[in-house]
Amino acid sequence: MKTRIFSVLCENVPGVMMRISRVFTRRQINLDSITVGIEPSGLARIILLFKADDRMAEFMHRVLVRLIPIVNVEVLDPKQSIVREVALLKTHRLDDEGILRVLGEIDRIGGRVLELKENALVAEIYGTHERIEETIKGLGPDVLKEVARSGQVFISREMGPK
Amino acid sequence: MRKMVELTGSKALLEALKAEGVKHIFGIPGGAMIPVYDALYDEREIHHILMRHEQGAAHAADGYARALGKQGVCMATSGPGATNLTTGVLNAYMDSSPVVAITGQVSSSMLGTDAFQEADMLSVMLPITKHNFIVHRTEDVPRTVRLAFKIAIDGRPGPVHIDLPKDVQVGKADFKMPVKINYPKAAKLEPDAEQVRKAIGLLTRAEQPLIFAGGGVIWSGASAELVALAELLDAPVVTSLLGKGAIPEDHPLALGMLGMHGRMAANLAVTECDLLLGVGVRFDDRVTGDLRYFAPKAKIIHVDIDPVEVGKIVRVDVPVVGDAKKALAAMVKGLRGQAKRRRPSEWLKRVQKYRKDFAPRMDYDEVPIKPQRVIKELMGVLDENAIITTEVGQCEMWAAHYFNVRRPRHFISSGGLGTMGFGFPASLGVKVARPECDVLDVAGDGSFLMNSQELATAVENKINVVVCILDNRYLGMVKQWQDLFFKKRRSAVDLGKTPDFAKLAKAYGAWGDRVTRPSELAPKLREALRCGKPAVLDVVIDPDEQCLPMVPAGGRLDQMLT
Repeated sequence: MKTRIFSVLCENVPGVMMRISRVFTRRQINLDSITVGIEPSGLARIILLFKADDRMAEFMHRVLVRLIPIVNVEVLDPKQSIVREVALLKTHRLDDEGILRVLGEIDRIGGRVLELKENALVAEIYGTHERIEETIKGLGPDVLKEVARSGQVFISREMGPK
Repeated sequence: MRKMVELTGSKALLEALKAEGVKHIFGIPGGAMIPVYDALYDEREIHHILMRHEQGAAHAADGYARALGKQGVCMATSGPGATNLTTGVLNAYMDSSPVVAITGQVSSSMLGTDAFQEADMLSVMLPITKHNFIVHRTEDVPRTVRLAFKIAIDGRPGPVHIDLPKDVQVGKADFKMPVKINYPKAAKLEPDAEQVRKAIGLLTRAEQPLIFAGGGVIWSGASAELVALAELLDAPVVTSLLGKGAIPEDHPLALGMLGMHGRMAANLAVTECDLLLGVGVRFDDRVTGDLRYFAPKAKIIHVDIDPVEVGKIVRVDVPVVGDAKKALAAMVKGLRGQAKRRRPSEWLKRVQKYRKDFAPRMDYDEVPIKPQRVIKELMGVLDENAIITTEVGQCEMWAAHYFNVRRPRHFISSGGLGTMGFGFPASLGVKVARPECDVLDVAGDGSFLMNSQELATAVENKINVVVCILDNRYLGMVKQWQDLFFKKRRSAVDLGKTPDFAKLAKAYGAWGDRVTRPSELAPKLREALRCGKPAVLDVVIDPDEQCLPMVPAGGRLDQMLT
């Protein structure tokens, strides 16, 4: 099943997330990622990632559009979109060799160290979902104590008519 | 002329309801709703009907809505009052009925504290309504009511719930009345011309066309267009349960209801047609049976105002999203312009033969009385203007299978949810909406007992409906499934001997009687209709009679048990 990306523009009122999430729950679809941000217009932009076949994806699109507080649902093509995910990493207290290895790795992938104290650090990394996954997997649980991830945000490359 | 007035939230609610044309409310008060009921005390234009259970209030509002084609209103207090509404609200949702449910709620400051009679109704109502609101500011009351009424009736109708915390009811604010709202979600009514053109193309080429009409035809008021199209194409018409009455069922092209308990002719026609035009239907599993054998030879055109329904269950060759009346009218117009239409005479002959060969048999003289005979007598006694409601189960399917309905909005039944206890309170709502019509609930004993307390409502408010109980002392449809599919192991379906329904009716001050012989049916029905009171006629029927023919769940429409 293909991964689907819906960019949902909706009213920013309590209960909207429940209205959206339950239509997925009811059809036994797991939402792999949910991100919410408020647009300059005051509307909320919710980006949903889930897996579904073509027929179900089309159906879920119609179901969402039908919800009263939803203004618009844009189906994003991953190939035509820019995607970013941010992760904050906190390490255990490591030995000198260990912390140097982590610093090197963060530097290599263009991350930033935000805190560094007594051989433990907090760093931010960003990029595609795959890159974040690889980095976290590469460092592993022996190095990483805690990870906070933003979920994936997408925006279409399309600029609209001139 | 809009003017500024200062009102309490409760008074503003009533003013907003009146602005929507509300004349009747079905409800029950309670602690968190007393301010609204206090405002009702002085109200002269809105008539409140005090029900005896909130489920009854929701069904009454539903019946009212379906009989009139406009919003029906029910009201309840917070907590248990509100949760008691939910079955009726979901029933309205499943059958696309514009019920507006208004409930009291604990004061805003107490929300989320497990206060007395607090229930999180925003969450509870959310999945069973078209939309729902909790009002947090008194000044938002009129706007919310206007939006709720618009949402309930726009496009595909459905229930809307408004939760009103007590502080919002007693608070005061300045209102500009009437309110203006912006509703950008209004349904698209006009069907796409290209899709209509494609549909006309298929209709022109079809040799064995069949029209499948549902509740959407009734809600859009498209009966005249439906009949015109059927006659133009010489296409037979089958209906869903909620579509009964969309075409007069004694029309030569009407084959009656299709599906699990449909008529054989209807099910055979669906199986053999080469073109199926579904209008305002959602292809429920009780209609289609095994999808692999549903209309297997047919191209399918699906007209519906709700795009979610199109392609949800069956593959559709030509989807047409829009209002049924507009779509059917466009098809009629397009076809009239075509000189060479194929007359499907062979097809029509074959279908007419099915219609004759498998005509439902009703002329039984046996004692105990056969339910088919009861329906026959009802058709003889009731005039064309009478409105039938039904309970749920065998009684419902006997009524649906045998009763020929001649007008839209004159057969009102619980379809999607199959809610036992629906028919009687719904009949009260229907009678309030259409007092000039005889209203009769075709009931089963099990289903009637689930809301028989509304006899008090009927008597106290002089809502003179007739309940005709097909009394077999069983939860009959479950018994039927146990007999057919569970080796006759009748588990928990025997209802025993109590109550005596005629005495029960009399205890409430209603008319009550019991018949055991077919010859007594017509005179007693006439007496019940003319007694000047709510009436209960207990008809003792054959307890072993099955509701046949039947397509077993998930079976093929052309393979009915007989």
